[in-house]
Amino acid sequence: MKNSRTVSIRNIKWGCLFLGMSLWITGCTEKKTPVKHTVVIEEMEYHPAEITIHPGDTIEFVNQDIVDHDVTEKDHQWASPVLKNGDVWQMIPKQSEDYYCSIHVIMKGCIRLEK
Amino acid sequence: MKSIQKFAWTCTGILVFFLGFSVYLFAQDRPHYTDPEIASIAVTANQIDVNYADIALEKSEDPAIRRFAQTMKDDHNAVIKMAVDLAEKLGVTPADNAFTRELLAGEKEMTDKLNDASGKDFDKIYIDNEVAYHDAVIGAVKTILIPETENEELKNLLIKVSPTLQAHLDHALMVQKEFQ
Repeated sequence: MKNSRTVSIRNIKWGCLFLGMSLWITGCTEKKTPVKHTVVIEEMEYHPAEITIHPGDTIEFVNQDIVDHDVTEKDHQWASPVLKNGDVWQMIPKQSEDYYCSIHVIMKGCIRLEK
Repeated sequence: MKSIQKFAWTCTGILVFFLGFSVYLFAQDRPHYTDPEIASIAVTANQIDVNYADIALEKSEDPAIRRFAQTMKDDHNAVIKMAVDLAEKLGVTPADNAFTRELLAGEKEMTDKLNDASGKDFDKIYIDNEVAYHDAVIGAVKTILIPETENEELKNLLIKVSPTLQAHLDHALMVQKEFQ
């Protein structure tokens, strides 16, 4: 009787340890499901002008303005093609980025990558 | 006490009379434009800036001026297309008027100045004029064209164009700083 109780307590201990480790490993390796964010270009502005995303997330830029625009990294590391009214362009940022419209240089926006 | 009240009422009456009279005079002075006339003003004002941009693209070698001029040409051509398409849809024929003629007279004077200038002088005259021109057009759109327009679609087009004009002015002011 004593032996069987000792065994069952030991089993419970091992079970708890296994469960704890499983939760710890899951927590460490858990990845958020990638999300698609939308930045609307309208009235000569990016909406929102500042956006916070996580690794793997996609940003789609939608031009709803009456004139052409683009999305250009501030040091020209990357750029979208010219976006006409109704055009959509997507990207998956690998890091935080500052960008602007090379056609209308006063238009600016930034992407904050939160890890 | 009664005399004070009587005095106050008299003052209020005089104030209301002069206020009403001023509003009446303002309404008499303010020019009125029909929708066909407003369509003509909108198309002409945009075309004038396209024409200035063409001169700049032909004469200037400054990258910032050339980039700005190309943006003016593309954006104002886009607005002209929208205005013409809307006028066609509404069956409105743009009508010549005093405002349009004033704009064209101003264009002739400025075109002569631009044609006579060269190099950095040209760049400065061009960008100074772009600042003054956009400032004046924004004022006219806000205080005359939008309030005067009767057709909702034409009014909405003018409202939609306003942020673009403001961005052009901000861009012009930015470029202008390089020529101070």
